Amino acid sequence: MEIKISTQQVLNVLKVIAWIIFIGLCIDAGGLIVNSFITLFVNSQAVNNFWIDSEYFSELLSFDRGNFIVIAILMIIVAVLKSFVFYLIVKLFSENQLNFMQPFSVPLRQFIKNLVYLSLAIGIFSFYGMRYTIWLSSKGMSEANLQELNIAGADVWIFMAVILFVIVQIVKRGIEIQTENELTV
Amino acid sequence: MPIIVNLDVMMAKRKMSLNELSEKVGVTVSNLSILKTGKAKAVRFSTLEAICEVLDCQPGDILEYEN
Repeated sequence: MEIKISTQQVLNVLKVIAWIIFIGLCIDAGGLIVNSFITLFVNSQAVNNFWIDSEYFSELLSFDRGNFIVIAILMIIVAVLKSFVFYLIVKLFSENQLNFMQPFSVPLRQFIKNLVYLSLAIGIFSFYGMRYTIWLSSKGMSEANLQELNIAGADVWIFMAVILFVIVQIVKRGIEIQTENELTV
Repeated sequence: MPIIVNLDVMMAKRKMSLNELSEKVGVTVSNLSILKTGKAKAVRFSTLEAICEVLDCQPGDILEYEN
């Protein structure tokens, strides 16, 4: 028995997955911001509330408050940027900007262009975060688990930015060819 | 654009409306309108052939080059 999966079914599944990931990333980013704020300005004991690598954060806070702020800011920026990536994906699906009758469109090109900028930014901040944790290790801090800090994979994000940039150029040419085709009688 | 489309002139000579021409040629009114107003980027030979057959004219009667 042959089971055929249509493009629309795949898109519907991706839409649900995108929503789940978006909500998860928002919770993650929000939690980081709230925990960091409370730890820095309300009660330093709140550092134990970090659900990822709280031991590292406790050690970092007692090591140096300034370094804690830097790491926290880097993590928050990366988390917020990741949330924004999925916000754009969810927005693309919600506003039905994918038109398979005329697939190459300016909104699609702009969407992919935004993903290029965001991926590049996530890659750069993740890379800087990684370098900063390595520097902290050289100063006596314990080694950070980049995966748990959500700043791992900087090279992957930068690679994705490059690939998406190439795709933007292809879509740009596609728009030109599609427009010419529409105006061919 | 240097290529000028004189479709409206031929249509007037043959006393044919856009709707009528569209039905006979088999091209939508909107596409013919794109051609008539000079917004078309390209014309297929098959379309040009059908228009010339219906309007009983030569391609040169419809298309003109002006530098």
